[in-house]
Amino acid sequence: MKLNTERLTRTVVQKVDKQKVATYARKTKKIATYISYYLLLLSLSFVFLYPLLYMISQSLMRPQDVADATIQWIPKVFALENYAIAFGAIDYWKGLLNSIWISFGSAILQILSCSFIGYGFARYKFPGKSLWMALLVFTFLVPPQTIVVPLYIFFSDLGWINTLFPFIVPALFGFGLKGALFVLIFIQFYSGLPKVLEEAARIDGAGAFRTYWMIMFPLARPAMIVVFLFSVVWNWNDVFQPNMYLLLPEFFNLAQNLATFNGNASVQGMSQAQQTVSTQAAMSMTPTLLNQIMAAVILMILPIVILYLFVQRSFVESIERSGISGE
Amino acid sequence: MKGKQVRLSMKTRHNMEGYAFVSLWIIGFFFFMAIPLGRSFIYSLNELTPTSAGLQATFVGLMNYREAFTTDIHFLPLLIETLTSMLTQVPLILIFAMFSAILLNREMIGRTFFRGIFFLPVIIASGAALRKLLEQGVTQLPIFNQYGLYNQLSNFIPEVVLEPLLEYADALTLVMWDSGVQILIFLAGLQTISPALYEAAKIDGATSWETFWKITFPLLMPMIFVNTLYSIVNSFTKPDNGVMNHLLNVVFRSNDYAYGSAIGWLYFLFIFIIIGFVFLIFRKRLSI
Repeated sequence: MKLNTERLTRTVVQKVDKQKVATYARKTKKIATYISYYLLLLSLSFVFLYPLLYMISQSLMRPQDVADATIQWIPKVFALENYAIAFGAIDYWKGLLNSIWISFGSAILQILSCSFIGYGFARYKFPGKSLWMALLVFTFLVPPQTIVVPLYIFFSDLGWINTLFPFIVPALFGFGLKGALFVLIFIQFYSGLPKVLEEAARIDGAGAFRTYWMIMFPLARPAMIVVFLFSVVWNWNDVFQPNMYLLLPEFFNLAQNLATFNGNASVQGMSQAQQTVSTQAAMSMTPTLLNQIMAAVILMILPIVILYLFVQRSFVESIERSGISGE
Repeated sequence: MKGKQVRLSMKTRHNMEGYAFVSLWIIGFFFFMAIPLGRSFIYSLNELTPTSAGLQATFVGLMNYREAFTTDIHFLPLLIETLTSMLTQVPLILIFAMFSAILLNREMIGRTFFRGIFFLPVIIASGAALRKLLEQGVTQLPIFNQYGLYNQLSNFIPEVVLEPLLEYADALTLVMWDSGVQILIFLAGLQTISPALYEAAKIDGATSWETFWKITFPLLMPMIFVNTLYSIVNSFTKPDNGVMNHLLNVVFRSNDYAYGSAIGWLYFLFIFIIIGFVFLIFRKRLSI
């Protein structure tokens, strides 16, 4: 009897202990995974943020700060001299205005046109649809440089060089920078919407365009935000197209001004090996110039970073709701 | 009889409406894609000499295309370099983007903040700003050059191995900076996977590793396809792409429109063939 009870209590105690140990182990494991998970995220975030932080710190340094070995990241005085020089060198206000015209004009027109086209592709089955869809993907594959010569001749015959038209008119027809991609985004979005809405609108007597404009287009807000942000950013940073169609300095946008800052900045047709050599050459440049360039880069990306901060939340949410699931 | 007519006209009206929406794009396609493509092909078969009356074209057949492979010393090496950099970078981009998307998809504190940071490269790392940063060598993490880590490592690892490794590490930063859009696409894909599947897998005792390979990966297949296409096209049309810049040099510095068009067409065909391969590879996978 006695032996039995003893054994019983022993096993019970052991069981309790085992359970405790198990829960502790689970808890520590959970905490460990959390910590490692956040460490991973933070280190990746650091890699993303590093160039930005480097630029900011470099742009604030004066020559004496660069020469000072004790200063690694934070200069003793936040000097804005570099910004003042860069501001003039890239002709900021004029460039900013030109950039805004090009990128916001393109973005708004691309939203209107790509949404319209995407809705047609998503909701209608017409003969030849698959052919046009295939051509849509095809246009995405054609590098813009392939058709650059005829397009240039075409636009210059129309007298559109040094105007906004070469940017705005293609955007109006769902082309422009990465237009095909934006159309595909809208197709994807509209395909995910329930058909009931349109059916109700049609039964109530709205025509096809009215249904689209009153019901469907406003629903596409998430897709709109994504397209808007991409379009603005890509147009903002694009140098290729502006270099083609804007030849007079007074029409230059910020990206072009930045590229020409410090003379021959955009070295073209170089191999990777040559590029590293030029990088080393740039590294050994007079340090002040480097800091001015950094200031110029920051000045250039500042407007879109501000825009991004504003739309960031809704942008991220837009990606969450890639479609209204179910009915 | 009457009913049939109405149905027919319904169908016709449906088609008309569809075309009304799409016609905008079709017009654009002819003006901004088909006609320029055709014209650039015609240019590439001619010798263009600028005269006072505009461009004077004389038919030379495939001479420009031959020139690209024979007399032009830059074209082929640049093409090969473009191909190799694509082949190394695109798989890395895909892996990294998928990894990041899965990381960012979890419920956690500060998710929006991290997402904001991960999409930053989309905002900054394109065009002029990126090129400037490349020139300044900012994209390379200084860890290897600072702190004498390089010398430390060279004691253990022979330099023949170390150099490529470090270059790879540098390339990795660029890869991370190039994968913003791809992360977005993967995230959107992850959102569409129903949580019920994961719950069922959990109940059946699947590990997270198994869950990934049996659920997440197969269901992300369409996104992987889209991302592969996007990454390839992106790497071929980057602002720092050698072939692209070479083409621009030919066209705008030496004003050789005909030869430029020929290179453009060759490059386009080259991209087209590679994309064709991708389609073939994914055709079996996607037809589930």
